Amino acid sequence: MSTIGAAGVELGRPDMIVSDGVDKWYGDFQALKGVSATIAEREVVVVLGPSGSGKSTWIRCINRLEVHQGGSISVDGIELTNDTRNIDKIRSEVGMVFQQFNLFPHLTVMDNITLAPRWVRKQPKADAENRAMELLERVGIPEQAAKFPGQLSGGQQQRVAIARSLAMEPRVMLFDEPTSALDPEMISEVLDVMKDLARGGMTMMVVTHEMGFAREVADRIVFMESGEIVEVGTPEHFFTNPTEDRTKLFLSQIL
Amino acid sequence: MENSQPAPLALDPDHFNVDFTAESDLEALPPEEPGLAPKEWMQKNLFSSVGSTILTIIFSIFALWALRGLFGFMFSGERRWDAVATNARLIAVERYPLDQFNRIWFSLGSLLAMAGLSMAFFRASGYFTLKRIAMWLMNLGVLGLLGVILTPGAKTEVPPVVEGELPTFIQDSFGEAIGGRIVWILVSLVTLGIGLALWYGLGEDRRRTMRIASRWVIAAGFGLAVLSLWVVPYGRYFLENGVATSEPGLVAASTRIPWTIMWATFVGALLLGLALRDRIPARPPKMILGLLWLLAPFILNWIVLRDPDFDYDHVFSTDIPMALAFMLVGGALLYWLSNAGIGEKGKIVSIILLAFALFNWVAGFFGIYPMLQKARLSFLFLGLFALIAGNFSRDVRTRMNYVYAWMGSMAIFHWLVTAVNSPSTLDITSDTYLGGMTLTIFVAWLTLLVSFPLGVLFALARTSDMPIFRLLSTTYIEAVRGVPLITILFFFSVIIPLFLPEGMELAEVAAVVVGYGLFSAAYLAENVRGGLQSIRRGQFEAADALGLTSGQRTSFIVLPQALRVSIPPLVGQSIATFKETSLLAIIGLNDLLRVANNTIPSQTDFVGSKKEGLLVVSAIYFGVSFAMSKYSQRLEKRLGLGTR
Repeated sequence: MSTIGAAGVELGRPDMIVSDGVDKWYGDFQALKGVSATIAEREVVVVLGPSGSGKSTWIRCINRLEVHQGGSISVDGIELTNDTRNIDKIRSEVGMVFQQFNLFPHLTVMDNITLAPRWVRKQPKADAENRAMELLERVGIPEQAAKFPGQLSGGQQQRVAIARSLAMEPRVMLFDEPTSALDPEMISEVLDVMKDLARGGMTMMVVTHEMGFAREVADRIVFMESGEIVEVGTPEHFFTNPTEDRTKLFLSQIL
Repeated sequence: MENSQPAPLALDPDHFNVDFTAESDLEALPPEEPGLAPKEWMQKNLFSSVGSTILTIIFSIFALWALRGLFGFMFSGERRWDAVATNARLIAVERYPLDQFNRIWFSLGSLLAMAGLSMAFFRASGYFTLKRIAMWLMNLGVLGLLGVILTPGAKTEVPPVVEGELPTFIQDSFGEAIGGRIVWILVSLVTLGIGLALWYGLGEDRRRTMRIASRWVIAAGFGLAVLSLWVVPYGRYFLENGVATSEPGLVAASTRIPWTIMWATFVGALLLGLALRDRIPARPPKMILGLLWLLAPFILNWIVLRDPDFDYDHVFSTDIPMALAFMLVGGALLYWLSNAGIGEKGKIVSIILLAFALFNWVAGFFGIYPMLQKARLSFLFLGLFALIAGNFSRDVRTRMNYVYAWMGSMAIFHWLVTAVNSPSTLDITSDTYLGGMTLTIFVAWLTLLVSFPLGVLFALARTSDMPIFRLLSTTYIEAVRGVPLITILFFFSVIIPLFLPEGMELAEVAAVVVGYGLFSAAYLAENVRGGLQSIRRGQFEAADALGLTSGQRTSFIVLPQALRVSIPPLVGQSIATFKETSLLAIIGLNDLLRVANNTIPSQTDFVGSKKEGLLVVSAIYFGVSFAMSKYSQRLEKRLGLGTR
C-alpha cells in the first residue's frame, strides 16, 4: 500500500483534503482498505481504477455521502465526524458532480442553480440569478436558463450540474464519473468545462475513465484497485513508466 | 385531445405555486391517424370474426335491454320527479333560514367569482374541438331517439268491473306511445342534425382544429341551466301554519333572479380575469387566489353562514389584546430568531416553545392547567414558525415578510376561533345550520384541508430516520386503517364530547370533520409515502451535496416530486372522502343522502318517493366525482407525469 506523500510541502501549498487510513465496509465486504492521500490546494487529482475498485466510494466519503468507519478525513482543516455542523460546513465547501447528473427535474435550470445559494448561502434572489447567468455563460448554455432539465441533452444537463455546484462557490470540486452516462459526442463539451475549471485553479478530484483528460489535466494520478491505492504519480510517470504490476495490467487492458 | 404538449411543472421554492403555462403551447397539434370510414371501422372493431360478431350482437341486445329498463324507470308514470323538483331547496341547503338566504347567495357568489378568476389566472382551461362537440351532439341525438323507441308505453289503470277484484292495466301500444313523444323525437332529431351538420359541414381539417375553450362551454352550460329556471316551472315544498303544502313553480320563481346574478358573477369574474391576466404580474393574483381557496371554507362556513354573535365586551377585553400580544411579541421573537447569527440558540428556543405548547396541550386536555384553547394553539403555531425561522435570515426584507406572514396568520386565526366560540345568531334548533348539499360540500372540503397536511406529515414521519416518529406514525396509520370509518365517526360524534374537559365544546359537525380528517389522513399518508419512495436516491444525494438541510431537502426537492407522482392516488382518496360524507346520514346529520332517503319520502305529498331522490343524489355524487377525476387527468397531463 502506498500513500501520497506530503504533497502540500512539495507544491508549497496548504493541504486541502487529507484522507488518512480510511476504511469502509459494506456488510462483510471491505470497500476501502486504509486509503491515505493528501491533496493540496489548486491540485487536480484523477482517480483511476477498474470498476469495483472503491474509487467512487472514496470520493463519496469525502463529502459524507458515504460514512467511513475507520481512519479520518478532513477538508480544509475541518474533520468529518458525526457532528452535523461539520458535515454541513464541508458540504457547502465541496461541490459534487454525479454520473447521473441528478438535476432536480421539477425545477428550471435557473432554479436548479439558484436554490442552494438562496437557501443555504441566503443570497438575495437577484444576486443569485445574476451569478447563475454568469455560470451558465461560463459553461456555454446561457440560453437554456428557463428550460427544465428534461428538455436538455445529457451534455447540457451535466454542464448545468457543474454550474449548480459552482454556484455555491466551493473550494473543492468532486467529479464522480461525470462523463460515463453521456453519449460519445457530448463527452468533450463536459470535459472542456472541466479543463477550464482546472486551469482556473480549482482543487479537483476526478473519478473518470477518460485517459486523455487524465493525461492532459491531472497534476497527479491515483490508481486504485480492490479498495487500496496501488500507485500514485504524475501522468507522465503513470502512463509511460508505471512501477506496479497491477497498474501495468490495468493500462494494458484499457489502452 | 385538449392538451397535446404536457408542460412541466414550474415550482418556485418561495411559493410552491404551480404555474400552468400550458395554454400557449397548444398550437402544435400532433398529426391524427386518418379516421376509418364507419363501415371499415365496424368491420375492424365489431365484426372482424365470427366470434366477435356473436359477442357484438349479444352485448348490443344486452345494452338495449338495459337502456330500455333505465328509460322505463325514468319515464314511468309512477315516478314522482316533482318530489325532487319541489324539494330542490331541501336538497341544496336543507332548512337554512329563508330570511338569511342572502348569506347562501353571498357564499356561492364568492366561490363562483373565485372559480372564474382562478380559471383565468391559472389558465386551467382546456379546449373542446368542434369534432368532439359534434360527436357529443350526435350521440345525444341517437340516445334520445333510442329512448323514444325503447321506452315502454304508459300503463293506464282500469278500475275493476266487479268490486273486490284487482284493477287491470292497459298498456299503450307502440304506435300510441311513439305518437305521444313527438316533441322528444323532434328534439332528438334536431340535436342529431346539428351534430351531423357540424361534422360534415366543417370537413376533416376544420373540425379538428377549430375549438372552443372549455371555460366557455362551462359558462354556456351554467347559463342554460339558469335560463331553464325562467322557463321550466320547478316546484317547492314548504310548511304553512304547520301544514305541509307543495306548490309547483315557486322555486324557479324565487331563485331565478339570484341564480342569474350568480351566473353573471361567474362570467364577469372570468372576463375580468382574462382581461387582467396579461396586464398584471402573474404571481400576486395566483397567491391571493390560492390563499382564498384555503381560507374560504373556514370563513364562509363559520363567519358568513353561521353569523357569529360576538360578545364585544369580551372581544375588546380579552380576544383582541391576546391576538395583539401574540402578533407583536411573537413577531418580535421571530424577527430575533431569523437573524443570521442565531445558530444553535434559535433551535433551542424553538424546541423549548414547542415543548411548552405540547405541555399546555396535554395538561389542558386533562384539565390540570387551564388555558384558553386559542392560546394553546397559538403557542403551538409560534413554535412551528420559530422552527423554520432560520431559513428567512437572508435580509431585513425577507425577515420582515416572515414576521408579516406570522401576524397575518395570527389575526385570521384568532378571528376565526373567536367566531367559532361565539354563538350563532341564526334561529335554528339543531346545532347544524348546514344541511343537504352545503353540508356535504363543506364537510368534504374541510376534511380535505385538514387531512392533506396531516397526511403529508404522517408520510414524512413514517419515512423519517427517527425511530420514534416512524413508530408513532406507523402505529397511527395501521390503527386507523384497521377501524371502519363509521366507527370513528360514531366515536367522534358521541364519545369524544363526553371526554372533553368542562367548558370545552365541539360542535357535532366539527367533531365529525376531525374524525373524517384523521381517517382520511392515514390513507393519504400511505399514498404520499408511495410517492416519497419513488424519488431516486440521487435526488437526496444532490440535495445533500449542495448543503441543503434535511428540511429544505424535503420541502424543495423531495415533496414536490413525491406529490406530483402521487396525484392519481391522492385524487382517488379525495373522491373517496367526498363520497364517504354520505355516512353523515347514518350518524343523523341531514346531508344530501339523508334528505333524499329520509326527509323527502316522509313528506305527506311524497310518501315513499325514495327512488327519484336517490337517483338524483347519485347523479350529483357522480357528477362531482367525475369532475374531480377528469380534472386530475388534466393535471397529470399538464405536469407531464411519466415523462421525466
